[in-house]
Amino acid sequence: MAVQLMQEMWQGEISTVTIGAVKEEGGSRAYSIKIGGEQSLPCLFKEGAIPNKPEIAFEIWDIAPNDWPSELSKEYGHALNDPFLWAEKCVKEYKARSLCVRLQGAHPDSGDKGPGEEAAFIRQLLDKVNVPLIILGTGDDTKDNLLLPACSEAAKGERCLIGSAVQDNYKTIAVSLLADGHNIIAESPIDINIAKQLNILISDMGLPLERIVINPTIGALGYGLEYAYSIMERARLAALSGDKTVASPFVCFVGQEAWRAKEAKVEDSRQGVMWEVLTATALIQAGADLLVMRHPLAIEKVNKYIDKLCS
Amino acid sequence: MNKFKVTFYPDNKSVEVIKDTTILSAAISCQVFINSACGGDGVCGKCKVIVKKGSVVTVPTGALTPEEKKKHVYLACLTTIHSDLEVDIPPESKMEIDAGLKDIYANSEEVESEEVVSSDKIFKHSPLSTKLYLELPKPDLNDSLSDLDRLYRAINKAQGLPRTTESHGAKPVVRGLPPIQTSMANIRQLGELLRDSDWKVTATLGKRNNSIEIILVEPGDTSAKNFGFSFDIGTTTISGQLVNLNNNQVLGTKAAYNKQASFGSDVITRIIYAKEEEGLEKLHNAVSETINHMIKELASEYNVDLNDVTCIVCTGNTTMIHLLLRIDPTYIRREPYVPTANFIPVLRATEAEININPRGLLYCVPGVSSYVGGDTTSGVLSSALYKEKDLSILIDIGTNGEIALGNQDFIVASAASAGPAFEGSGVVCGMRASSGAIQKVKINHKDLSVSYDTIGNVKPRGICGSGYISLISEMLSAGVIDKSGKIKLENNKRLRTTDTGREFIAAFKEESDSTRDVVITEADIENLKRAKAAIYSATAILIKHIDFKISDVKKIFIAGGFGTSLDIESAIKIGLLPDLERKRFSFIGNSALAGAREILLSSQAVKEAENIARKITYFELSTDSGYMDEYMAALFFPHTDLLRFPSLKI
Repeated sequence: MAVQLMQEMWQGEISTVTIGAVKEEGGSRAYSIKIGGEQSLPCLFKEGAIPNKPEIAFEIWDIAPNDWPSELSKEYGHALNDPFLWAEKCVKEYKARSLCVRLQGAHPDSGDKGPGEEAAFIRQLLDKVNVPLIILGTGDDTKDNLLLPACSEAAKGERCLIGSAVQDNYKTIAVSLLADGHNIIAESPIDINIAKQLNILISDMGLPLERIVINPTIGALGYGLEYAYSIMERARLAALSGDKTVASPFVCFVGQEAWRAKEAKVEDSRQGVMWEVLTATALIQAGADLLVMRHPLAIEKVNKYIDKLCS
Repeated sequence: MNKFKVTFYPDNKSVEVIKDTTILSAAISCQVFINSACGGDGVCGKCKVIVKKGSVVTVPTGALTPEEKKKHVYLACLTTIHSDLEVDIPPESKMEIDAGLKDIYANSEEVESEEVVSSDKIFKHSPLSTKLYLELPKPDLNDSLSDLDRLYRAINKAQGLPRTTESHGAKPVVRGLPPIQTSMANIRQLGELLRDSDWKVTATLGKRNNSIEIILVEPGDTSAKNFGFSFDIGTTTISGQLVNLNNNQVLGTKAAYNKQASFGSDVITRIIYAKEEEGLEKLHNAVSETINHMIKELASEYNVDLNDVTCIVCTGNTTMIHLLLRIDPTYIRREPYVPTANFIPVLRATEAEININPRGLLYCVPGVSSYVGGDTTSGVLSSALYKEKDLSILIDIGTNGEIALGNQDFIVASAASAGPAFEGSGVVCGMRASSGAIQKVKINHKDLSVSYDTIGNVKPRGICGSGYISLISEMLSAGVIDKSGKIKLENNKRLRTTDTGREFIAAFKEESDSTRDVVITEADIENLKRAKAAIYSATAILIKHIDFKISDVKKIFIAGGFGTSLDIESAIKIGLLPDLERKRFSFIGNSALAGAREILLSSQAVKEAENIARKITYFELSTDSGYMDEYMAALFFPHTDLLRFPSLKI
């Protein structure tokens, strides 16, 4: 007798966020990417539609990173010193589908570049590469409130994903992204309640829930991965059960966390790459929609994994 | 013994203390109130003082920075006095509630109180103590009963009881009747008293643990003057009522802040403090002083002689009752959290150092467990929840929020530590529901002008609990704050940023009866948000625990010292109360005090209260794995899960 498979039917759906605007939409990207849109839990293709594969963005910086382990930095070589070269290398050589630029140079402790300078940099970057762009601020609230509005304006019409908005600092960022047509990253400290609250607060500002991407904050393998996994799983279950306030796609900063692990800092070893791959694949199973990663080899392996999973 | 004089500035108050007294104890003994959240454990670092002159000995602490040490800053609780001292108390170390309203400790105040007693439950009038005027037949050779038996006979006759002819001993017993007893002091003076008063006397009878005690025999007829007090001893607020025991009339109601607050704002820090040297005595004295002060004031305002006050009923949480009776509360805090006594026999009020008639009685309403006390019992009694057919809930909003859920068949209760914000403490312009308190607010959505109602329709002095609920709800609607409670408004004359953060001005000082603007700060909103989250989440968990849904609750009784009004709509809007049909709610005021008064006035109510206390099952929230999650989710206006508040359309 054939076994009847139990199937869960969900009433909720994750919103679909489009990053990047092509010419017809008022931008200058060659294409746009879509994330989210799931109607079922990750990998359960029979229970509901999973229209979009997880996307990976290459992380680049506006200044040369000084704390990246050699195993990671040697991969990019002198391109690290020139963000435009770095960006082009990612797109041309590694076939990056999207880029995530971190404006570390604007941080008060590492250069303190002005908003005008960074905004001009963003505009130039958008002119040099034509893939969808994710823009990250410094994490310093006061600085981000000056920096991100300027960058948002410089990238007006390009439908970028910009962040991060946090519970104590979301208003200024939300207002400018709303005006310039971008999407927002809402960051919460591994806390489903704060994730929901921040989504509500941002949508109260007029920025629709459909333009929010949740950064649930993650830990790398061995550094709280399970905790992050369970929070993402709980949020996803709530969203699929009909809670719209948490039905946003997830962006996970895998590279940043994986390469902080001491195990990833072993020289002349692929351990760091494996750390990044394992962290990424686990989070894909938890429901990650967009992964921001660092090592080209790790990205290549995870892309293969995604293709196998979704075929 | 070395005695030193310590002077505190800027209050300019002095006290003489012995060597090795801590600065904190010295301050308390001269009514200078220093912040001490940890109760003097040297942990919280809130009691910083500056020693201007004199020598002290202190213990190392991490709570002071090297700069502070250089400036002679010490922690008052860790520093002992070794010479005459001059001590400066910086503003941040003054107790917050003291900073808000200077006279807060000075006096008790008349409060508005609204109590709804359900109509189908009126207990038979039989107060804890009654006065009986007796004209005794003079003894002669044919009727040669002893004086005491003569008195007993007259009492039984007056009460319609069969005559007892037993002539031996002090306790004649008639089957089915409570035995009468009296003390030696009364007997010794009886012979002379009866003859001096020409056999016309008034006997005060008290119901004391299944027997009747002749409390007092007085010459002449004083039976028209028989008064009692009911008290609700809260962690933050003590409310008391003077009642005419002959006709059940409430003469006056007052409330005062519990002076124990200077030893810590919650019960746990006070329990810890009780272990300090003389800590228990100090805590006991603080509460008995507060009560005696209120008794004295009420009695003199209504021309009542304290000798005519023959009994008092106190209710309160278990820790408060322990401290009132000077019982060591230590084991309340220690696993497995067992109080020394839940049921306290009827005592003499002097045993708790309460000053009424020296032979007057004190009854404490029985409690349930360490954290659900007599206040819950008396609340359940006065709300008549124990008689409801449908599932009902009583939510008593106080520092220790108590929640009782059940009906005529069962009752479960929990305590939620909400903090004193709704009682007007720990918030900048907070005050009790007394004259001049803003209790209702309207904010114009266009120009953000604020209109308000104050208690007594006088100029505003501060904001009481119901005022805060209404104000936050209005600030949410008008877009002054976001749902997390942060002020989102920019550039408005009502908005101000100070050293301590952002604040919204509810009443400018020109329109208020205070030297400063009446404001609500972001920190106040945070405090109130935590308080409402504690109450809401405890309610939700308790209902879930017995496998019901919130919507299954048919009647919701809201109790608390909110004065005459609590706007249920606003309370739902901020997420303090669950979103249910509005007609299911009723606001019943200070239900604990009302229950204590019913107990004072009827022995039936005493029996009922004892039954209720035995019937209630205690549920410990902290052992429920879901409580923390519920609490975190409730830290939002109205709630992180907006689907629970469908009627608000947000």
